[in-house]
Amino acid sequence: MTTFTLQLRVKQSEGALVRVLGVTRRRRFDLLHLTANATEDGNFLDIKMTVKADRAEHTLVRQIEKLEDVSRVEILGPTKTEHARAI
Amino acid sequence: MKGAQFLVKALEREGVEIIFGYPGGAIMPVYDALLDSKIRHILVRHEQAAALAADGYARATGRVGVCMATSGPGATNLVTGIANAYMDSVPVVAITGQVATSLMGTDAFQEVDIFGITLPVVKHSFLVNTAAELPRIVHEAFRIARSGRPGPVLIDLPKDIANTIADFEFHDVTETSAAPELHDPSIARAIELMRESRSPVVYAGGGIGMAGALAEFRKFIDATRIPVVATLKGLGSIPTTHELALGMMGMHGTKAANHAVQACDLLICVGARFDDRATGRLNAFAPHAKVIHLDVDPAEVSKLRRADVPLIGNLRATLSALACPLDIEPWRRECLAAKETHAWDYDAPGSEVYAPGFLKTLSDRAGKHCIVASDVGQHQMWVAQHFHFNNPAQHLSSGGLGTMGFGLPAAIGAQFAFPDACVINVSGDGSIMMNLQELATLRRYDLPVKIVLFDNRALGMVRQWQELFHDKRYSEVDLSDNPDFVRVAESMGIPSFRVENRRDVSSAIDRLLAEPGPVLAHVLIHQEANVWPIVGPGKSNSEMLDEVAR
Repeated sequence: MTTFTLQLRVKQSEGALVRVLGVTRRRRFDLLHLTANATEDGNFLDIKMTVKADRAEHTLVRQIEKLEDVSRVEILGPTKTEHARAI
Repeated sequence: MKGAQFLVKALEREGVEIIFGYPGGAIMPVYDALLDSKIRHILVRHEQAAALAADGYARATGRVGVCMATSGPGATNLVTGIANAYMDSVPVVAITGQVATSLMGTDAFQEVDIFGITLPVVKHSFLVNTAAELPRIVHEAFRIARSGRPGPVLIDLPKDIANTIADFEFHDVTETSAAPELHDPSIARAIELMRESRSPVVYAGGGIGMAGALAEFRKFIDATRIPVVATLKGLGSIPTTHELALGMMGMHGTKAANHAVQACDLLICVGARFDDRATGRLNAFAPHAKVIHLDVDPAEVSKLRRADVPLIGNLRATLSALACPLDIEPWRRECLAAKETHAWDYDAPGSEVYAPGFLKTLSDRAGKHCIVASDVGQHQMWVAQHFHFNNPAQHLSSGGLGTMGFGLPAAIGAQFAFPDACVINVSGDGSIMMNLQELATLRRYDLPVKIVLFDNRALGMVRQWQELFHDKRYSEVDLSDNPDFVRVAESMGIPSFRVENRRDVSSAIDRLLAEPGPVLAHVLIHQEANVWPIVGPGKSNSEMLDEVAR
């Protein structure tokens, strides 16, 4: 299981945040934390989100990068990898 | 000028010549404006068919297909067609009417959040919130639909915006979509892998045709002389009769194609995405191969299979850079010998019509420029296996979504694009019923689409799986109460005839092709006819099942 944090800047447009969250869910990444703030000029939304999945982070990052309204994607900090434990 | 009038003028400016659609309350201003336009509107009988016809038009021409529907159920009926275009990367712009902005969010009559509903199945979408946005949105929609990896774009237009009178100006800003630049060290590394390889295979996908890279691809194959396997959408990237074409790979692929992939030491994937139907069990797919992956979409590279050399960018440039002669003669001979050993055998027992043989004969007689729009199921795989294609745009098939009911509307779209072409819809008794109403569209516009309806009185592919993988526990696959398709077709003004015996196939095909207008051949086949070979679910492509004795 991999946990990592993404910092995104997206254009303030119809459904921009929903699009990012939709891709995250469809690509089977679980959301652990999310903040979203409009930039001062109101033109963009800065999104910081922490997700976990048993898939490689690039499989999400590249899908988010494809969204028309996304202008920047960065992976913040080191990726945390845990081995699955039996419950 | 009203918003709706501007929309229609902007569509004209984008080069739109034809729209497939169905009117209704919220889209009425646009239909009113269409009366004064040179754009031809094609009235289908169900909105799903409008989206699928636009998809078929786009696949056959490479241009953006356009469909239109009203709000609510009109819009939701488009969704399957939009998803179909999304899964196969087809450039389509779908325009939906929406209730007035003042009513949005109030559960108004025929209000549905089509923007939200379609989010997972569009490349992008727009809700027009103000009239001022309309010029930019229309222009952007077309740019996005056709750029990079193509896909469907939705424009949801509220009725009050459509009726707003304003001074609209065309949005003529030309944005260049920056294709990633070729990375020279990667090209050099790819050529190094190609030269080291003793047994390379090219895995050709739908991206080749969509990128307009057929010429470059063929030069690349001519130079390297690497054997080629194709996905469903990649068929025709080189003519299927080409010496080096080993046929389709995957679940219903040829033995020559699957064996070559499983044995190869280098797999050069061109515009394909390692779909599960193509790869079989992924961790057993091409187990000895290094991978060079060429694609315009970075998200597809190393998504399912790690690429040793990713080559992201326009296929035309990449393929040209990779064309070089290789020393692989023993491997080529091995592949060509396997192709000969496993060539199709059309000498099947029995007197009933043998669908693969029917299609082979039809392909031989229909000419090398005919367009085939297939539905989904066993007949779809038989078309892929036995029809010859010189170009992927001749083979319209719902690959990713697998949409039963795709074939007839797609054939309609293709026939409008090429009025003089021979367009054939191959369907099944399950699939045809999904958009049967479009026979009325064929009649209305007198489109000379030739329909071959294979009828096994069953949902054949599901029945085949239940036979092979569910211990013959047949669940809801019986269609023995089908209507009389000949009478149904005739009632809609489509000449029709039945073919019941193999000895009648030759004359039936002559009759089908000689008919000047639309025609439906109702072809009865054995209820238990199966598609062979088959790779079972979860199995490796090395484990192909042959026909089993009953």
